[in-house]
Amino acid sequence: MKTAEEFNRYYDVNLISKLRDLENERKKLLRPVIFLCLPFVGSVVIFFLNFFVLHFHHLDRAIFVGAILINGTLGAVFLPRFFKLKKTLKVKYKEEIIKEMVYFIDPSLSYNSTSFISQSDFENSKLFTKGIDRYEGDDLVVGNIGKTEVRFSELNAQYETTDKDGRSRYVSIFNGIFFIADFHKDFVGETIVLPDTAEKLFGKLGAMFQKMNISRPDLVKLENPDFEKAFVVYGTDQVETRYILTPALIQRIMDFQKKSGKIYLSFLYSKVYIAISLNKNLFEPPLFKSMLNYKLVEDYFKYLILMVNIVEDLDLNTRIWSKN
Amino acid sequence: MWIGLIIFGCLILLFVIMFNSLVSRKNQVENAFASIDVYLKKRADQIPSLVNSIKGYMNHEKAMLAQITKLRKESFDSKIGSNERVDVENKITDSMNKIMLAVEAYPDLKASHNFIQLQRSLNEVEEQLAASRRAFNASVTDYNNGVESFPMNIVALMMAYKRKNMFVIPMESRGQTN
Repeated sequence: MKTAEEFNRYYDVNLISKLRDLENERKKLLRPVIFLCLPFVGSVVIFFLNFFVLHFHHLDRAIFVGAILINGTLGAVFLPRFFKLKKTLKVKYKEEIIKEMVYFIDPSLSYNSTSFISQSDFENSKLFTKGIDRYEGDDLVVGNIGKTEVRFSELNAQYETTDKDGRSRYVSIFNGIFFIADFHKDFVGETIVLPDTAEKLFGKLGAMFQKMNISRPDLVKLENPDFEKAFVVYGTDQVETRYILTPALIQRIMDFQKKSGKIYLSFLYSKVYIAISLNKNLFEPPLFKSMLNYKLVEDYFKYLILMVNIVEDLDLNTRIWSKN
Repeated sequence: MWIGLIIFGCLILLFVIMFNSLVSRKNQVENAFASIDVYLKKRADQIPSLVNSIKGYMNHEKAMLAQITKLRKESFDSKIGSNERVDVENKITDSMNKIMLAVEAYPDLKASHNFIQLQRSLNEVEEQLAASRRAFNASVTDYNNGVESFPMNIVALMMAYKRKNMFVIPMESRGQTN
């Protein structure tokens, strides 16, 4: 496992020179934005002068038309170039920085910036029952950590809904990192561990609703009160669920939740699926901040380490049962 | 008159709901107990393979092997009561632990493929057994809550349902590595 200190040294030796080059490219990319912004800011100033000070008496409307034309022309010239360069910068950043970081953490892992966990894998996890209308993702990491096969990527799954005015909009089902690993025990049933929102909000009444939830298997009450407060567990077999969720694994899941935030877990087809909910897009280059911002790269490193360490955190490499 | 009938109807309905709930909790306990039995039998079935795979190596522990074989036979005896059965199963757990400790002195045996496979499946059964005990305890808790909480305790008294005891989880199962 790589530590923060090791990453710091790696950053100084390997990443900083690449980030300097990328920073120069970022600055180049932003130059046309300034050309776009100046006439726009000028137009806004003229408008406010007209409206509040001169009350449209002294300046002609032609000035507005002129400002719009200038903005439109500059936009038509610079915007396509801007987006093209932005895309190039993004690809370079992911290939030169994120890919390198993944390799630094574990050389046996491979990274693909445009691939992601498939929709069928996401749906097979049975973590989210809502139908998906829009599904996208990026930053797929695949490989073996010890004896355990893992893969994870960023995902954003949404469903379509219409508001009261009949306009359609997309609402998030899940946004964050989705992780799949081979589980170290064989099992045939389903065990689903979800954040316990109903019982937290409605107490015993919430627990009653959970028991009546027909979209899920049977409710399983485990003996750890702290775990029961944080999660609700559903399983197709009471014994098998406890065979998977041993007292030690329950404690490990609770410790992992403290590090990662809101998590969803399911155990199906001898695999463990973990969804970590996030409200930000990871592994993206900063556009309006310096590339040389260490905190940002360190944040990405922490997320990568968090994911890779799941194997250790949940002790998935221990193979003392029939499954090898 | 009508109000009285409605109240009486509600009381009957409440009684039926509580009665059925208690019956289902009692059946759940019996079902959970049966699953423990399944895993105990599964463990007992592995004892001959364990004895066969290690008897060639362990010359000084013949008595230990004979003891576990005898205990296995006793566990299958349909005449013994539930308390004696628990005693026999506890003795099997104890003997298995002793055998596994004794194996440490035989590196060849420890490294043999057959023994490693056997050890893995024994670990698996032990964990399944621990899980079934936990499932049993959970259903006993659910049942006891029903038997002791008001007003269900009145129905339980009428049905002569009494509090049930939980399994004491052995220390080695509590300290499972995973």
